[in-house]
Amino acid sequence: MTETQTRELARPPFWRDIRVLRIVGQVLAVLVVFLVGRWLFSNLIDNLNRVNISTSFDFLSGPTNFQIPFCGECWVIPFQSRFNPRSPVWEMTVVGIKNTFLAGFFGVILASVVGVIVGISRLSENWLVARLATLYVEIFRNIPPLVIIIFFGFAVFTFGPFPILAESWELKVPGTDDNFLMINNDRWGIPGVSQVGEALVFFIVLLVVLIVAILIWRWRTRVFEQIGEPHHRVLWFIGVVVVGLVVAYLVSGAPFAMSWPELTENRRNISGGFQMNWGFMALTVALGLYTASHIGEIIRGSILAVDHGQSEAANALALNAFQRYRFVVLPQSMRIAVPPTINQYLNLVKNTSLGTAVSYAEITALTKTSIGNGRPAVQSIIIMMAVYLSFSLIISLILNIINRRIQLVAR
Amino acid sequence: MTTAAPPVNQLTPLEWVRKNLFKNWWSGVLTILLIPLILVLGYRAFLFFFVNGQWEAVQRNLTLFMIGTFDREMEWRIYSQILLFVLAFGIGLGTNSAAVQDRAEDAGLPYERSSVLATVGRMWSLVVFLGILLWFASTDDVGGLLNPFLLIGAAVAVLLVGFQAFRFPRRLRSAGWLLTATFLVLGFQVVSGFDVGGWLPLGLTYGIAAYMVAPVGRFEAGWLRIVMRLVAAVAVVAVIRTIYALVDSPGIGWDEWSGLHLTLMVSAIAIVLAFPLGLLLALGRRSTLPAVRIMSTMYIEVIRGVPLITLLFMGQFILGFMLPAGTDLSAVSRAIAAMTLFTAAYVAEIVRGGLQALPRGQTEAGQALGLAPPTIMNRIVLPQALRAVIPAMVGQFISLFKDSSLLFIISIVEFLRVRSLVHTQPDFRAVSIAETLVFVAIGYWAFAFAMSRESQRLERRLRVTR
Repeated sequence: MTETQTRELARPPFWRDIRVLRIVGQVLAVLVVFLVGRWLFSNLIDNLNRVNISTSFDFLSGPTNFQIPFCGECWVIPFQSRFNPRSPVWEMTVVGIKNTFLAGFFGVILASVVGVIVGISRLSENWLVARLATLYVEIFRNIPPLVIIIFFGFAVFTFGPFPILAESWELKVPGTDDNFLMINNDRWGIPGVSQVGEALVFFIVLLVVLIVAILIWRWRTRVFEQIGEPHHRVLWFIGVVVVGLVVAYLVSGAPFAMSWPELTENRRNISGGFQMNWGFMALTVALGLYTASHIGEIIRGSILAVDHGQSEAANALALNAFQRYRFVVLPQSMRIAVPPTINQYLNLVKNTSLGTAVSYAEITALTKTSIGNGRPAVQSIIIMMAVYLSFSLIISLILNIINRRIQLVAR
Repeated sequence: MTTAAPPVNQLTPLEWVRKNLFKNWWSGVLTILLIPLILVLGYRAFLFFFVNGQWEAVQRNLTLFMIGTFDREMEWRIYSQILLFVLAFGIGLGTNSAAVQDRAEDAGLPYERSSVLATVGRMWSLVVFLGILLWFASTDDVGGLLNPFLLIGAAVAVLLVGFQAFRFPRRLRSAGWLLTATFLVLGFQVVSGFDVGGWLPLGLTYGIAAYMVAPVGRFEAGWLRIVMRLVAAVAVVAVIRTIYALVDSPGIGWDEWSGLHLTLMVSAIAIVLAFPLGLLLALGRRSTLPAVRIMSTMYIEVIRGVPLITLLFMGQFILGFMLPAGTDLSAVSRAIAAMTLFTAAYVAEIVRGGLQALPRGQTEAGQALGLAPPTIMNRIVLPQALRAVIPAMVGQFISLFKDSSLLFIISIVEFLRVRSLVHTQPDFRAVSIAETLVFVAIGYWAFAFAMSRESQRLERRLRVTR
């Protein structure tokens, strides 16, 4: 098209000019969203003012006015205070975040272990194993997590086969009087670590050790890449961390001691150790098993997705079965499995919000109780949503980092 | 084309056992360890289900589990609803099977029409659940569901009648779909009432249908055709509106539904409402307008980052404040609003997946033909993209169905919450906790399992036809 012809083409009228339409469309969209939002917000403020509900966040420093279940003496990590009904609301929030994290953390571990076992079992050559794994997946995947949580909470852990607290089953470490495991229908106890002295030095030394360990990991990797010497970086890393832990423990003057769970004198309580109340047990086990059924399917799909030619090629190279899986099939299937698995972790963490059904004091349950106790709902819910959003963001961040590392680099 | 069937290796039972249970020492050890475990677990399960389990709590409250506190005088509405839904299902099944057959004939491929029995067979989990219900109802002397056998018999008859839609001549295929939609709407409204405001869904359906089939061929000018189509559509809508205004019989709104009925209906309502919103959000996220794209992305990511329960809390504690003073939304309506807003974000991601999976060439071909962007979207992109996401949408519906159990936490009496009512009865206080829970779990499982099977089948079929 020549210069003159271009000039002769008149611009279309503005209502058909794509450049104008694009701007008009965006302005309209923003305007509509803004107006609806402003309408909702002004209604909110008007209504709250009318019924005299505060719109500030001052309530965070006021007293909580209720006792968190199973939190008679629980620590407000990382602050050295014990929670009680007079503690401010923000300390309650901290306890809630900690409990959400704990349930999510242990749930993720359980889900991963069970999920991998189930996923591999579904592909087993053994008919019985494969069928059992299929049965597991089809049962757990199709029942709402809330039903599973309530089932574990009430039908298993409280009204199930376990004894009452005063008659707890105790599993002792052989040769000593220390309880390795305590089981009753109220809470389970396992050995824990308790702090007996100033620990700041310990954590600082630990941080330094971790940094050193990471540096050594990278150094070993570089050595391997440059001269092909076996790197053994996992061994190196673990070794450095273990030695570092011991050093840190000694340098900081032994600030920790083992703590064993045991019944108190009046047999109404358990002292010491790491105690898991029935709500925590129900939530973690139920969510772990539920999510495991999803992870199992992911693992199975990812192994099936690796092209059969890869196994054949490995066979042609005379790799044995273990080598074939470890060096050929699994690295490729992991690349497929990791993103959806981390998504399942995200779902698990979000599902811990169901803990309120088994009175586990995670952030949702506490927010609900707190609103019931007259704290302003809008601010409480905003804080709760912000907490979940940051959990989600952190997990997606981890997902992105891992994804970038494991994905094939297109050349 | 004739191909011989692959040879079938008939294994003797002993060979089968050796191949599948004792292939190597490792497999053998597993088998030997697992068999006693399975026997013990099976024995315990058998004891629980048939000997020790105290199922009276379920048996005597069967109606409560099904329809909760729904007005017992109005039970006939539920029965009519079930029959109408089954009729719609049958017509849809028949029409679909005929439509598949049409396509196969066009392509010159052999095709055998699927039977009703095959579909019911695929949904065996639901049949099992119905069997359990019938078993409880028949052994209950208090009288659970009114004549449940009669109802099931009528439902089967209606299903078979509806399936006859496959006999419709080919040009009436769309009429089959229209009938399906009609009976779905009628089935919904037989409970919720045919009052003045209820004309909208049916009016929209028939209005769009009238717009599409209006006989406007003899008008020359394009604009005149559009006007005449609009006139036809408006006329049809007006007629439907008038009919509703004349009938004007209020029913029972969803505030008064409960039990399994509420669970099923709430999830269906939420997914239907969430679909258009999700479609808009997906298009918004794929839009080339930065402002629209950013707003859609923000909405989707924020909603996907928080659990459903926080949105339900928002619905319970905040939504009321966000509307002008005096508007009074019921708890169920607020919950439906929260579930809709939540699901829309997930639907958007599903639809976006479908849009992204569509090859660029499709859009470019449309552009090469000089079609306007909306036409390309309507006629080329969306039909293909939406067809590809059907299995994922079924999956989303399953997860919404499971998530509807969260209404338990905000004290709405859905299927799971009925248990709490049962355990407040003097006879069942703190007994039969496991039994009622297992019953509820089987109920959820039956529906979710049937739907997941169906979605897997759809997925396989789509992959084959592509």
